[in-house]
Formats: sequence, structure tokens, C-alpha cells
Amino acid sequence: MGFAMNMKDNLARLQDFYLLSLKAPLGLFRRPFYGREIVEQMDYMGPGSLFIVLLVSLFIGMALSLQISAELAAMGLKMYTGKIVGMAIVREIGPVSVALVFAGRAGSGMASELGSMVLGHQVDILRVHGVNPVKKLVTPRVTAAVLMLPVLTVIGDGVSLLGGYYISVFASHQSGPFYWSQIRDVMSFKNLFSGLSKPFIFGYIIACVSCYTGLSARGGARGLRRSTTTAVVVSMILVIITDFLLTRVLMYVLGMRI
Amino acid sequence: MIEFRNVSLAYNSKAVLDNVSFSARFYERVAVLGGSGQGKTTILRLMLGLARPDSGSIIIDGQDITELEESQLRESRMKFSIVFQEGALFDSMSVRENVAFSLREYSRLTEKEIESKVRELLRRLGIEEAIDLMPEELSGGMQRRVAIARSLAGCSPRMVLYDEATTGLDPLTAESICRLIRELSEGEPPDRTGLIIVTHKVSDAAKVAERFIYLRRGAIAFDGDMQHLMRAEDRELRIFTEELHRME
Ligand SMILES: Nc1ncnc2c1ncn2[C@@H]1O[C@H](COP(=O)(O)OP(=O)(O)OP(=O)(O)O)[C@@H](O)[C@H]1O
Ligand SMILES: [Mg+2]
Repeated sequence: MGFAMNMKDNLARLQDFYLLSLKAPLGLFRRPFYGREIVEQMDYMGPGSLFIVLLVSLFIGMALSLQISAELAAMGLKMYTGKIVGMAIVREIGPVSVALVFAGRAGSGMASELGSMVLGHQVDILRVHGVNPVKKLVTPRVTAAVLMLPVLTVIGDGVSLLGGYYISVFASHQSGPFYWSQIRDVMSFKNLFSGLSKPFIFGYIIACVSCYTGLSARGGARGLRRSTTTAVVVSMILVIITDFLLTRVLMYVLGMRI
Repeated sequence: MIEFRNVSLAYNSKAVLDNVSFSARFYERVAVLGGSGQGKTTILRLMLGLARPDSGSIIIDGQDITELEESQLRESRMKFSIVFQEGALFDSMSVRENVAFSLREYSRLTEKEIESKVRELLRRLGIEEAIDLMPEELSGGMQRRVAIARSLAGCSPRMVLYDEATTGLDPLTAESICRLIRELSEGEPPDRTGLIIVTHKVSDAAKVAERFIYLRRGAIAFDGDMQHLMRAEDRELRIFTEELHRME
């Protein structure tokens, strides 16, 4: 009995989630438009997350470059460091690591803000005044995340590559110009496309999950904690699983073979 | 006329309201009493169509609002205005923007007219100097006042719903809020603006209401006027009304 109830609840929740994810983008095309909210959210998500993205990307780039040059040096292939680091960052590690950082920062922020608006009856007030909370609160957040995560990813990729450069030139004593010429080779359409299409989808997933869990917060401070944690955990898991599936699809679409 | 007919509601298979029925006219002044978590706020949310009952109907002016879609509820919601527990101010907006919120939603005033209307309302509630502050910079009493100002802006409601308007305030501030609530509901029965105040402070309820409803475990355990309330035998209700007895 309890299990069946649970199952039913979960199904209902999944359905609500799908509906929210579909309605959020539709809100962009119907009046009233909430342009100011979109700009506010973009500011919170983009510049607001920039510092931590820079920090994380820099160190990931350096660590990766260290590992790879050590491994390649043993085989006498050190000069390929740039190519491998670049490939890994642009196609895989950049988009995923920035998305995970974003989920931790912006995702938890969205969930806790919306959660406290629900618990403090601010969402009720919106509804009483005939304002659709999905359009006013969710659409701007989803839009901002879809626009800002790719930008952050590009910046993060760049910083990672710089970190990689620093290690290969100053720690592993390779030629700087050669490193960059390899990075230029990596910047093919296929690589860029598979790396930069991901953050749009990750941004959408993170924002939808976080807004949904925020709006379904119940039961005081503990409920708020639960919904914030759920937002981050579920976003991260979905990002990683989606990344794998997307990679598979993109490889197929772009005609890459394994 | 507001009517609850056999309304039941459960959250996570825990009954919050169990077959509740009552009716009230728009001009009445009603206090809903009850302990924490007994479903007081839920009753107000049901009245506005913010929550839906599992069964039963809620009839407002002859229309069953449980059958309406969100977009169709606007008209019946306009008959009320609500002041939520702790005020529910938008914490990303200044006091000015909070009060102007309903003006912007309901009317086509120019910015200048909005500004003067906001000032007028805040002056009436004695907090004009707070106009540029953010909600977190206000004391609890001021937050309630701003929330009341916001609820008065825009439409002219037939009934105002107050959720714990005085809870957590010092006696002086609570007293002044009660006086304010009373003032906003002046007039003779058919025309005056009614109110429903939800609270667990009977002494405050007694200052503004004439009819008392006591909720216990999701059911109405008492419904009557002051005299009946004072004579009620129910042991739990006596604990609530103790302070009134002492005052006598
Ligand atoms: N949206 C919801 N989802 C799940 N449970 C809810 C929801 N709203 C209310 N509840 C539960 O319903 C019960 C009654 O809640 P309600 O807010 O109406 O109580 P209350 O009488 O206003 O209490 P208080 O005096 O503490 O404000 C509580 O146990 C609460 O946890
Ligand atoms: Mg309550």
C-alpha cells in the first residue's frame, strides 16, 4: 500500500516535472514578458558564477596537463600534450565541469530562493494577483541558464587551456607556440560543436530541475534543505548521464567512429 | 456568501481538513482559532483557490471554485485580499515596489499616480518613512503593515483574510495592528468589508471578531459568538480562552 502510494506520488511528480519543463520555454512567447527578470537572472548566473568557474577550470586544466605530459613523456610523445589536453577539455571535461560547478552554485541558489518564496507564501501572493509563477519565476531562470552556461563554458574552456599551457611550457618544458598550434588543430567544427552544444542542454536541465524542486518545497527549514540538496544532486546526476548519452548521439550525428 | 461543503484535504495521506462545512457572509468578522498545524492557513488558501480539496466543494457567491481553472479564478480572488503569516513580502523588492505590485497588476496608473497612491497608503498605516527600505530591514510589525498596505492597494476587497496578523509581535504593536484591522472593517453589515482572522491568540481575535470558529484535528469543534465561546465546556478550548476568563 505504502509502496503503491509512493509510486503514484512519484509518477505524479515526474509528470509535473515534465509539464514544468515544457511550459517554462513556452512562457517566452506569450505575454506578459518578463525581460527585467531575465536580465537579473543572467547577471546572477553569469558574472555571479564567473569567479568559481575560472578557479575550477584553471586547476582542472593544469592537473590534466600534468597527468598527460607525465604519461606521454614516458612514451616519448610529450609534444602531443596540447592535442590531448585540448581535445579532452573542449569536448568533455570543460562542459561537464562547468555544468557541475553551475549546478552547485546557481542550481542550489535557484532551488533555495524559490523554496523560500513558496514557504513564505510569496508564490501564493503572485498567484492571487493573477501572475503565473511559472512565467514570472521559472521562464526567466531557464532562459538565463540556457544563455549563460554556454558562455561560462567557453570562458572555462579558455582558462583550462591556459592552465594546460602553463604546465606544458613551464613545468614540462615544451614549446609554447607548438602547444597553441595543436590547440588550433583541436578547434575543428566537430569538436567545437560537440563541446558547445552540450551546455545549452545542461543549462536547461539544471534550471528545470532546480526550479521544480524549489517550487515543490514543503515543511519549513528542513524542507528547504531537502529541496536544495535534491536540486543539486539530481542536476549533477542528470548532467553526467546526459553527457554520456549526448556524446554518443553527437558522435553518431557527426560521423565520428570509435 | 462563502460556503465550505464537506471539504476534506489530506497531504501525504495525513488528513488536514476532515469534512469541514461552514458558511460565512462577506461582511462577517470571523476569527478562526486553532493550534499549530491544524489547517488554519490551509482554509484561507482553499478559499482563494490556491489549494484544492480532495473532496467537497467551496462555493463563493454561488460558484463552485473547486471546478475552476487557475485562469478562471481571478474574478473570485478579486473579492478577497490576503495578508499572509509573516507578511509574505517579496524580499527582492523594496517596500515601494511591494505595495505598488498590486497597483501595477490591477490598474493602468502612471508611475506618478502609483507613487502618490503608495505614499498615501503607507502614510495611512504610519510607515511612510520606510518606503525605500527592503523587507529585511523592517521589524516584524512594520512588515505586517506593509503587507496590509499591499493588500489594500489595487482592488477594493469585500473581505480581507489575515493569517496570524499579530503573532510574534509585542503587545503594543499587536494592539495597533488590531486597531488597524478593525478600522479597515468599519461600517454597517451589508456594506462593510468583512474579515477572517486566523490566529491562536484569542485575546487578539476578541478585539476584531464577532464570530469564532475553533479548529481541532481538521474538524470544526466550535462555531459561535463571544458569549458562547466564554461558556464553551471543551477542555482544550478553555485553555485557549483562559486569558479572556482571566481578564474578566
Ligand atoms: N502544500 C502542502 N504540502 C504538504 N503538506 C502541507 C501543505 N500545506 C500544509 N501542509 C500540512 O498541513 C498541515 C496544516 O497546515 P496549515 O499551514 O494549514 O496549519 P496552520 O494551522 O496554519 O498552522 P500554523 O499555526 O503553524 O501556521 C500541516 O501539518 C502542514 O505540514
Ligand atoms: Mg498557518
